[in-house]
Amino acid sequence: MFNIRKRRMAAAAAALTASAALVLTGCAAGGGADEAAATYDPDEKVTLNLAFWGNDVRAALYEEAIAAFNEEYPNITVNSSFLGFPEYWEKRQTEAAGGGLPDVMQFDYSYLRQYSENGLLLDLEPYLGNIIDTEPLSENILQIGVVGGETTGIPTSTNAWGMYTNPKLLEQVGVEEFAGGDWQDYDAWMKEVTDAAAAAGVELWGGTDYTGRIQNFEVQQRAKGEDLFTDEGEPNFTEEDLAEFWEQGDTIRTDGTVIGQQRLEEVYPLSGFDTGLTASELTWDNFGAGYLGNLGADYTELGLIEPPVTEEGAKDLYLKPSMLHSIASTTEHPEAAATLVNFLVNSPASGEAFGTNRGLPASETALEGAELDPLSQQIADYEASIEDRLGDAPPVPIVGYGTLEEKFRLIGQELGYGTLTVDDAVDQFFSEMDVVLNQ
Amino acid sequence: MTYTTDVPRAEFAEITTEGGRAPRRRAPRRKTINTVIWFVVLLAFTAIVLYPLVWLLFSTFKPSSEFGQNPGLLPENPTIDNYVKVVEGIGGTPLWQFFANSLFIAVMAVIGTLISSALAAYAFARIKFRGVGVLFAAMIGTLLLPFHVIIIPQYILFNKLELVDTYWPLILPKFLATEAFFVFLIVQFIRNIPRDMDEAARIDGAGHLRIFFSIIVPLIKPALITSAIFTFIWTWNDFLGPLLYVNSPEKYPLPIALRLYNDATSTSDYGATVAVSFLALLPILIFFIVFQRFLVEGVATQGLKG
Amino acid sequence: MSTETESIVTAEAGSRSMRRGMRELRRAEGGGTPPVSAGRRAHGRRETIAGYGFLVPWLIGFLGLTVGPMIYSLYLAFTKYNLFTEPEWVGFDNFVRMFTDDPNYLQSVQITLVYVLVGTPIKLAAALGIALLLNYRNKGSGFFRSSFYAPSLIGASVSVAIVWRAMFSTGGPVDGSLNLFGIQLGGWVGNVALVLPMMILLAVWQFGAPMVIFLAGLKQVPAELYEAAEVDGAGPVRKFWSVTIPMLSPVIFFNLLLETINAFQVFASAFIISNGSGGPAGMTNFYTVYLYKRGFADLQMGYASAMAWVLVVVVAIIAFILFKTQKSWVHYAGENR
Repeated sequence: MFNIRKRRMAAAAAALTASAALVLTGCAAGGGADEAAATYDPDEKVTLNLAFWGNDVRAALYEEAIAAFNEEYPNITVNSSFLGFPEYWEKRQTEAAGGGLPDVMQFDYSYLRQYSENGLLLDLEPYLGNIIDTEPLSENILQIGVVGGETTGIPTSTNAWGMYTNPKLLEQVGVEEFAGGDWQDYDAWMKEVTDAAAAAGVELWGGTDYTGRIQNFEVQQRAKGEDLFTDEGEPNFTEEDLAEFWEQGDTIRTDGTVIGQQRLEEVYPLSGFDTGLTASELTWDNFGAGYLGNLGADYTELGLIEPPVTEEGAKDLYLKPSMLHSIASTTEHPEAAATLVNFLVNSPASGEAFGTNRGLPASETALEGAELDPLSQQIADYEASIEDRLGDAPPVPIVGYGTLEEKFRLIGQELGYGTLTVDDAVDQFFSEMDVVLNQ
Repeated sequence: MTYTTDVPRAEFAEITTEGGRAPRRRAPRRKTINTVIWFVVLLAFTAIVLYPLVWLLFSTFKPSSEFGQNPGLLPENPTIDNYVKVVEGIGGTPLWQFFANSLFIAVMAVIGTLISSALAAYAFARIKFRGVGVLFAAMIGTLLLPFHVIIIPQYILFNKLELVDTYWPLILPKFLATEAFFVFLIVQFIRNIPRDMDEAARIDGAGHLRIFFSIIVPLIKPALITSAIFTFIWTWNDFLGPLLYVNSPEKYPLPIALRLYNDATSTSDYGATVAVSFLALLPILIFFIVFQRFLVEGVATQGLKG
Repeated sequence: MSTETESIVTAEAGSRSMRRGMRELRRAEGGGTPPVSAGRRAHGRRETIAGYGFLVPWLIGFLGLTVGPMIYSLYLAFTKYNLFTEPEWVGFDNFVRMFTDDPNYLQSVQITLVYVLVGTPIKLAAALGIALLLNYRNKGSGFFRSSFYAPSLIGASVSVAIVWRAMFSTGGPVDGSLNLFGIQLGGWVGNVALVLPMMILLAVWQFGAPMVIFLAGLKQVPAELYEAAEVDGAGPVRKFWSVTIPMLSPVIFFNLLLETINAFQVFASAFIISNGSGGPAGMTNFYTVYLYKRGFADLQMGYASAMAWVLVVVVAIIAFILFKTQKSWVHYAGENR
């Protein structure tokens, strides 16, 4: 029933046709942007399917960008469809197994390795530097989408780990913004906020238990100079490392410094920070707009500062693509698809349409077209300010990273409820990792 | 054939259904008291059961930021913005289009389910043939497997038939009685009809088709109405099928459109979500109110009028 | 008179009226000649042809859409399959892992059993009780029927999650009402001990489907049976036990079986309320929710299929037992001869 071999052959055939076309037009070696237009018949009528995740707001922005695209390429019809994030991936997984992936997809970093290694995504190498303009994209950023030597995704935008604070709430309870420092300093600051709020009779906590997020573990490990996983996809941390990390949260969990799990569950899927119940949260810096939206009209600004320091001078942070664009290897129109990807990533028109809706544009030309609102400017400034702490990005996430991330979150939840001891938690996580790695 | 038209139809029924003879008045006082108690008890239950729905209705007038913050019934800052926003449609597709899509799929599903399930049920309940036992067990067996594990093989099948992004994968299975629930439901009703009638018809030379249409179908009307109601509502609410098989936004039915206001990775517009889902409730509520009447009349008053 | 013999008597009464009806029908059609019997075998063959004829649509659907995928999933249960590469045979590994090395699985089994054993009887009792109440008088019944069915209309949309969470949050209506009685439980949503009861109440709240089926069943009871019972001097209670329950038993059996199966497969409501996480602390991680997460989020489709087939076997055993008990309490008017 699952004729993978056949699909692979089809993919190979498509790739062959694509490269043959390139050879015929003499552009296989890649050339300047001027020659790009000659790689295919620009007047050929082509229809492409484009899929992305997002809400109605993002859909309207895509519509705008596609309209601009069609002014330039009236022969390429783009049929777009969109869904929420989990539904989007459920549909893609089914299509990956059963055939029928759309030509151009908005892609998530955590799935990139899986789809690439299984030959589902087109190697964009032949189009780099011609159809897809690489000038405005830094080498760093291009490297992010490389799996096993093939470029299968172009980042649209980047984000970095950071810490949001809520100045209005802090002012309300009379506590100064976190002045920076190590994790103990952060714990102490959160306690100060929680105590001040209790004294003022406000339902507010200093923050959320940060040991529930794998990214904080990653930041601490990277401060020691180690990524969570090696290039070969082997785990690069021990059970002791993990136990130590989770034990760090013991005090703040039990003394009421951080918001309780029960209260968090009541507002889920929103976070404590979304609902004005916590004054700070460690997260990706592109979450700001969502926070402001969920907090409502009473809140107009947020603080964005760097995460606590584990090791002075360590390069523990990195730029991650908030999303990428990829092309299905089964596409019948690779050149047209690449043209669309180039437009969506690089063109000032797309920068103008999206602004920072998809994160801070990774391409200089798109960034120039984008009009930055105060929050976006704040994020851009933040990413510039942490330059000293930015190191090389870790290897593309292992297959099943998403499972581990979720497992980590659920374990953090149980630690918060006290239904799991740290030792059992470590056992569970490692046994889960075993399964994931042997998948 | 009027055996049921004129008689009081339910156990304690002093009140006749339709133009029957005058109710027997044994203890009018007690009857009134009983009715009052009956009414009050039902009203109390109704209030409890309906409260969450009333809450939903009121919450459609809450701005998104009140969700998760204000569990009360009344909005703190009432607004009709949610409705203003949703009637505009999503991503260039007008709202009515989603309604029309849902309606089309649901109506086709009802037709398909009724025809195919009633036929199959008759065979299982009334015809004695080799293999009927095994097939019946197999039919029940299809109820037991969680559908998630057969999603992918089915998708591959429809993809090979090039039916993805059409409504066929949603409608065709209904015409093939793949929902064993309805087959089994109708089987139970047919088995509860005395056989004398079909045997008599049989002696008169009627074949199975004739017996099916002129005797069985009229007698299982309550089951058919029930199946129609459930098929309509469940199809209307189906999310997974359309998610997998429909690609183009202009073909989306309501449940998918409803989710488009929610994206975990950006802001979720709860206000718009509840507004759409409330609007989406109205057609099926109307459908239910209209059809539940036939359900009540059922055999008792509609029976076989000779 | 025992209930059993009574039910036979009442069934006889039903058949009598049916026979009378049949005679009239025959008269109306001017009578017909009985077919000449062409021997048992020919008759059997005709019946077989007729049987399969009626089953054609179902057979096409069964063979074309259901059997293949089912067998394939059975095969997958013995493999490691991540949707992307070919399944790899691993024998009973998946089953061994389930019962020896997966605490989440065992927890999931546990909460699902509680959900089924507690939730199903309450839901059915509520559905039957309300159906009987609705059947008692006709005045305003349309309004009541629609009201009681209304919660089932929203199915498992995002709105259900929003509404239900609000009802059970701290300071919400449920908490508030309980406080009136001096019960201080706080919010249920984040309370590990109260999430499961909250989910059971959601299932009970949406009791519309079995209620409608009970109502339809009640309407199928011929009124003469009650008349006959009354002639025998039966009071309301006796009539209930000797007429209503036996005549309703096929429908009770149906609802019992189907609601049990459905409860074992509870998915959408839990998935939506927990936003797909099965939380808090795994308390909404019902069997199918966990199965789904394993199959589609973790891409362990082999393991998910193995889980599915364990469920199939368990539910099949329960269904088999229920079918066996049928003889002692389910009464089919069409098969009592």
